[in-house]
Amino acid sequence: MPTPPLSGSAPFPPPQRPRRVAGAWAALAAAVFLSAVHAQAPEAAAPPSVYAGSEACALCHEDIAKAFKTSRHGVLDEDKKRGWEAKACEACHGAGAKHAESATAAEIRNPAKLAVAETDRACLTCHANGPTHVGRIQGGHARNQVACTSCHTVHHAPTAKVVAPAANIGAQNTRCAECHTSVVAEFKRPYKHRVPEGTMGCVDCHNPHGSFLAGSLRTVSANEPGCLRCHGDKRGPFAFEHAPVRLEGCSSCHQPHGSANPKMLTRPVVGQLCLECHANLGAQPASTIGGIPPAFHDLRNVRFQNCTLCHVKVHGSHVNRALLR
Amino acid sequence: MKPIALFLFAAVLPGAEDAPAPVVSGSADVGYRWVSDVGGNFNAYRSIVNLGSGPKLFGLDLNIQDPSKRLFDRANLRAEGWGGDPYNTAHLTLSKDGLYRFSFDYRNIAYFNFLPSYALNQRASDTARRFSDVELELRPGKRIVPYLAYSRDAGSGRGITDFYSDANEYPVATLLNDKTDHFRGGVRMEFNRYHLTLEQGGTTFKDDQRVYTSDLNRGNRSVPLFGETLLLRNLEQAYGVRGDSIYTKAIFTAAPATWANLYGQFLFSRPRTETNYSVAASGRFVLLQSLTFLNDQRDLVMTQAKQPHTSGSFGVDLRPTKRLRILESITTDHLHSNLSFNYNQQQLEALYDLTSRVTIRGGHRYLWGDARVRTPFLNPVQGLESGELKRNTGLAGATVRFHSRLNANLDFEGASGDRTWFRTSLHDYRRLRARARYQASGSLQFAAQFFVLDNQNPTPGVQYDFLSRQNSISAAWTPDGGKRVSVLAEYMRSSLRSNLSYFVPQELSRQESIYWDNAHTVTGTVQTTVPGRVSGKLEFGGAFFTAAGSRSTSYYQPLARFSVPFDKRVTWNAEWRWSGFTEGLYRYEGFRAHQFVAGLRIAR
Repeated sequence: MPTPPLSGSAPFPPPQRPRRVAGAWAALAAAVFLSAVHAQAPEAAAPPSVYAGSEACALCHEDIAKAFKTSRHGVLDEDKKRGWEAKACEACHGAGAKHAESATAAEIRNPAKLAVAETDRACLTCHANGPTHVGRIQGGHARNQVACTSCHTVHHAPTAKVVAPAANIGAQNTRCAECHTSVVAEFKRPYKHRVPEGTMGCVDCHNPHGSFLAGSLRTVSANEPGCLRCHGDKRGPFAFEHAPVRLEGCSSCHQPHGSANPKMLTRPVVGQLCLECHANLGAQPASTIGGIPPAFHDLRNVRFQNCTLCHVKVHGSHVNRALLR
Repeated sequence: MKPIALFLFAAVLPGAEDAPAPVVSGSADVGYRWVSDVGGNFNAYRSIVNLGSGPKLFGLDLNIQDPSKRLFDRANLRAEGWGGDPYNTAHLTLSKDGLYRFSFDYRNIAYFNFLPSYALNQRASDTARRFSDVELELRPGKRIVPYLAYSRDAGSGRGITDFYSDANEYPVATLLNDKTDHFRGGVRMEFNRYHLTLEQGGTTFKDDQRVYTSDLNRGNRSVPLFGETLLLRNLEQAYGVRGDSIYTKAIFTAAPATWANLYGQFLFSRPRTETNYSVAASGRFVLLQSLTFLNDQRDLVMTQAKQPHTSGSFGVDLRPTKRLRILESITTDHLHSNLSFNYNQQQLEALYDLTSRVTIRGGHRYLWGDARVRTPFLNPVQGLESGELKRNTGLAGATVRFHSRLNANLDFEGASGDRTWFRTSLHDYRRLRARARYQASGSLQFAAQFFVLDNQNPTPGVQYDFLSRQNSISAAWTPDGGKRVSVLAEYMRSSLRSNLSYFVPQELSRQESIYWDNAHTVTGTVQTTVPGRVSGKLEFGGAFFTAAGSRSTSYYQPLARFSVPFDKRVTWNAEWRWSGFTEGLYRYEGFRAHQFVAGLRIAR
């Protein structure tokens, strides 16, 4: 058994601190203000704690220790640079020598039973600084206090029952479905993306960690909406754009989770869908974008009720201003 | 097959006989599916279900752990839906801790769409899209992680579209063929207090669509125009689109102090396309502008489009006290081509832990922007249209954990809009979402969800009134860990009502666009062990959807499964599934079909 360090700092920060802090941030006025706040009400210094080491943990928590070695986190026990060599359990649970002696639950920190912010803090101490989390505070999960452990299992290797990058699509969808029950029901409609079939996953379109786009939509090619990852033929740029495609995205006309209308449209008849925007005569100048169709459009004729018969390039045209070809 | 090949390669390396054997685990589902004769509309069946008969590899999941850690530590191969199914996937990951992580993902999705009720049956497609993603990450888990990635998205197939000529349009055949290649590479620098990702990428794009016919086609116009019958005899129309783009991505996150996190990103892309379009058509056509009749049409058009697109966001997560969190984010998005827009969003939100079990939050979001769009040629308002966006939104929410078994979440937004892009955009709206989960016992869990969105646009000439509700409840009962019986059930009731006035051009009058949808969805499965000597499992249930309203529809998918283990590794599976689709207005689009599956699951 390795010799445990004599003492440790607060539970979550790793023992090895970086030598330099990005100095630019120190200049932020908010930082100065908050430093002052903290100076006025300093928190009591945490009493020094003693680490027990992973081997001590494994003596009682044998199953977890065994599974942990096969998980991605298992590398912590061997990685000197991360600062948790031979004491990986205590990276999240805090120093555990007292708990190892007394075997009482009160003597150890259990992130699964903490307030969400505290649980996340345990994870984000290491994981906040990664590209995945850049849209975190704009995402619904963080704002609605959904803890990292709601989706991720910490101790186990990625299998069919846990969510991890390597987990299969069906397992990931099942995990999302536990909370997003109404979305699951929408996918039972006849016209939908191939999610129930297991060909597509929720995370193909959404970034559960957050995104600067509405609905935590993923981006592709830097800043284009994730829909274009598969629908590359709709990307353009077109010489003649259809405004809602760029301004409000695909969901201005389509219900991507499922619809009773063909092509996942928001309305059953194409003409109705188009005319709801292309009807700007009441207010002059028009307060919204859309214009009106010219008067030869006889809407009593079924030909004119199906706008896309003529306006075939409704997502945008390379050659025709009225999207006719 | 690749991990197996690598494994074999590893086996012949010097010293392989001394190394511990790789641990192989996984499962394979193979079998045969019979699909009964489809009653009703076969094209609608293909548009919605599209499963066929034949031998199948339903699923494969193979994991290899190599204790000797020579070429890889872990390898995983997954595949689903092979053997003629419309959805095939394959996924391979190989990783060696601290050295590399490699992933390959392949999907092939068939899109068949041929519905008589949609666009007079003149917009149909039978295409397939294939996606391949390859990514290689070097030194994963280290401070500096370079990576390279390539992906391809290609679609091809055939379909029906319309060729438009003045005063008539002709349904004709089309061949579709497009392809996008993405290349990207970058480096992630991850340190304890900050992270920076720099990525540079590019795409190439091509789209070759051909529209053609050599048959006499009278089009959709049923009456002559000034005594002349318009018709199409021969058509050759070709789109040749070539495009490329470059993009840059810079992302950083930082934790300069224990009470602050910073997030920021700068994203830039500049896609462009060049198009060569040609059409040669013969028949009888008219030019309405000059009222000239002609027998041939020939056009050559060349266009270029470029679209610089810049986005950025910056966010701060501050924790001035133990109970208080302040989230501030600013997002900006600018795009300029023949359509240009500037979009900005600023959001400030505070979260406060009232107690260790109750967190409340409140804040404000402000959206503003402007857009300029070139109007369609025939639009009476010639030139450019412009729009503005201004909306103030109040945010509120609460998370309550009554005790470890019951938690609830409330999320509310209420907005007052001054300007919106479109008539149907969010304007004055209230959106409320409430979720609750209750763990009644170790084996019984309930969840409920309530959602309402009420959007109004009182602008004269618009008068938009939209109300959407979704209420769902679900229960899961798994006594004794579901060893003998488990029940999962879910019910959702959703309703949507939309009412908007619109302008009828030829009558110069206003009418109401009314849309409503009133749907019930039930999903459930009951799984139980078969009593007696056969230790099989029986599962039955399915999904049932029915909607009344503007497009009344019902779609039922009951199923039953039976599985019997032969031994610890081999299980025999049988499944029956029924798909029944009915439409109230378009009864000719309904279908019914049985699917039977028999197969083996082999696990190791």
